[in-house]
Amino acid sequence: MKTARGLLIPVVVIALVAILSGVGWALRIQLYSPKTPFSAFLILVGLLTAGYFFMTEARAGKSVPVRRIPAFEAVEEAVARSVEMGRPVHMTFGFGTISSSMAPQFIAGLGVLSHVARLCGKYGAKLVATLGVPEAIATTEEIIREGYYSAGRPELFDPTYNVRYLTDQQFAYASAVQATLIRENVGANIVVGPFWAESLIFMEAGNMVNAFQIAGTARETQIPFFVLVADYSFIGEEIFAAGALASGDKETLASIRGQDVGKLLTIVLVILGVLTLLAGLKLVDALNWAWKVG
Amino acid sequence: MSLVLRKYVPQTIVSIIIVLTVVFYYFYVSKEIAGTFTTADKALSDWVVIIMSFALIVGGIDILRFHLARIRREGMGQAPFSTVTIALLVLMVVFALHGWYLSYADPAAGIAITTQPQFRWLYLNVYAPADAAVYSILVFYIASASYRAFRVRNPMALLLLITALIVVFGNTTIGGLIWPGFLPLRDWIMTVPNTAAFRPITIGAGLGVIILGLRLLTWREISWMGRRE
Repeated sequence: MKTARGLLIPVVVIALVAILSGVGWALRIQLYSPKTPFSAFLILVGLLTAGYFFMTEARAGKSVPVRRIPAFEAVEEAVARSVEMGRPVHMTFGFGTISSSMAPQFIAGLGVLSHVARLCGKYGAKLVATLGVPEAIATTEEIIREGYYSAGRPELFDPTYNVRYLTDQQFAYASAVQATLIRENVGANIVVGPFWAESLIFMEAGNMVNAFQIAGTARETQIPFFVLVADYSFIGEEIFAAGALASGDKETLASIRGQDVGKLLTIVLVILGVLTLLAGLKLVDALNWAWKVG
Repeated sequence: MSLVLRKYVPQTIVSIIIVLTVVFYYFYVSKEIAGTFTTADKALSDWVVIIMSFALIVGGIDILRFHLARIRREGMGQAPFSTVTIALLVLMVVFALHGWYLSYADPAAGIAITTQPQFRWLYLNVYAPADAAVYSILVFYIASASYRAFRVRNPMALLLLITALIVVFGNTTIGGLIWPGFLPLRDWIMTVPNTAAFRPITIGAGLGVIILGLRLLTWREISWMGRRE
């Protein structure tokens, strides 16, 4: 019964899209963009409805299993280790701004920061967040304040110490983060967000002080550096899942299953593509079909 | 009121923008409607520039606050670094104001803030070399990271080492002299296994963004606003 109720909205959405498309096609109306493949829209609708379905399932009380992300689980170990060593925890989320195409990774970094801040509050660790974007100062302060206050340790919150805006220039920022890691002798170095050439500079500086390192980015050119040098790394889409895991909210967590459905769909499409190619057909031609009438 | 302003208004704006972005990307929108939204889009972009400029002022104040507190707290031990930072920050503001004054006082000279002589001198002779120096450090870091990463501790590390050696020799002239097969092998590694590894990561990141968008649309993703409640 609960599953049926959870399915209602996805079914209604899919039915609406089908009816709209059918009527549009019958009346020869240019409903969809002629420049964008129609399959892309269908996949988007499918993924959103799948994610929403799992969220409603979780809201109805059904247990939705979510895969483990080792890097996320290691954050607690990193914070606890820093406390044992009497050293602060460092976190940075790059200098990709909220007004650029890097915004999703920036938001993912904020999600991880909120988790780190709560753990720092729980264990009584000092947290240093270094910033390369001035518009994130207020948000970062709020997140760290919330982390310490919710753990009942408001005395640990010191905005001057916890939040350090450095600069928005790439290598000046890299240099300042490097200096902070070494001068503060950090016990844990958590680096999640959009990164460019500065990624390895952060990792090597963390290594110099023997910090426990957790890193993650969705920028594929920087992932190899993180995988090689960090103790744990979030690979690609895992940084987006980390925000949901940090929330601890079952409904938000369940949305990650939507990502997994997308991966499954991708695998199916790849296999189908290979099979159809072997049969002398090109699946990509069908997938590239755009809605053009008249 | 505070809750409405701090939570509901930003979330509503984000939801509207997500829906509009999807509509404009996937649906056919007539030129007249698209034109109206292009004007609105330009206005929003202008707002972003203005907000960013003010955010930079906040950033400058934050830097000043941090270093003044550091000098007060840690005494002379950290004072030289913080003093130089504060002095240069103030100096840059003074030069910028001078450039701004010159742009009004003598428009014929064509001097703006960024072309103010002292400002420009500091940029070209202090900032640019320092920036290049930090970038060049990356080469040594790549070498030290490679040394640690390529130590053969298990079969996977051995595989990594062999692959790295092929790519390194394939990228150098001496590699071709040792064995001409390095170059085609490097090309195969870069175009087949490397691409096969990169594409799922790119697709996965795209899927992650879609689901993040769903959480933003359903108001479940609130970390970007700072507070949870």
